[in-house]
Amino acid sequence: MPRLATRYFGPVDYAVESVYSFPSGLPGFEEERDFLFIEQPANKPLVFVQSIATPELCLLAAPARAVAPDYRLALSTEDRAELGLEQDRQPEIGPDLLCLLILSVEEGAPPTANMLSPLVVNLRLRRGIQAVQAGSGYSHRHPLGVGAPEARCW
Amino acid sequence: MLVIRRREGEAVLIGEDVEVEVLEITPARVKLGIRAPEAVQVLRKELKATREQNLAAARGVSDEGLARLLRLLGR
Repeated sequence: MPRLATRYFGPVDYAVESVYSFPSGLPGFEEERDFLFIEQPANKPLVFVQSIATPELCLLAAPARAVAPDYRLALSTEDRAELGLEQDRQPEIGPDLLCLLILSVEEGAPPTANMLSPLVVNLRLRRGIQAVQAGSGYSHRHPLGVGAPEARCW
Repeated sequence: MLVIRRREGEAVLIGEDVEVEVLEITPARVKLGIRAPEAVQVLRKELKATREQNLAAARGVSDEGLARLLRLLGR
């Protein structure tokens, strides 16, 4: 079982099958393709998105519905193709489709969630993308603890 | 903000080197063609925000920040 140096948890043993792949990387981290999602009971509902290639790179995230219960996801046909999802209908967040919002904590400001650009993962294929919700009206710096703004449907 | 009306097939010039042409208009969106020197970065605005926010998020969280996050998420 391979061992990984992690940013927050020291060395962690992981199964190769538990790796999530982001074939296009993430904006700003285009070369980072493989991540572990580390969850701990004490930190629920947080998900630590740990890079396999770069131990210092670990993003904090939480399921979209834990941040904003009415969060609405709309995936373009290109996004659906990249995720290996059916093209004929808009997919729903659920047991097969994970939607995580990346969280930021900066000095002197309220923590924020990036509602504009969720990490969306097809759990059956363990394949993800950062799906920018252009035209949604969602903010990339949504203050936590405040109700979600109404998003437009299209 | 400068506002200019253009039809399909028409273009605007920005400076000497940048040309933005309206290729197609549908009720929901417009398709733009952009001709610019390689040194000029052309980015969808929301993608720039996403990149900057990813970089900010990657700076990390202290124990105190973690506790604040968990409180705000209802723990």
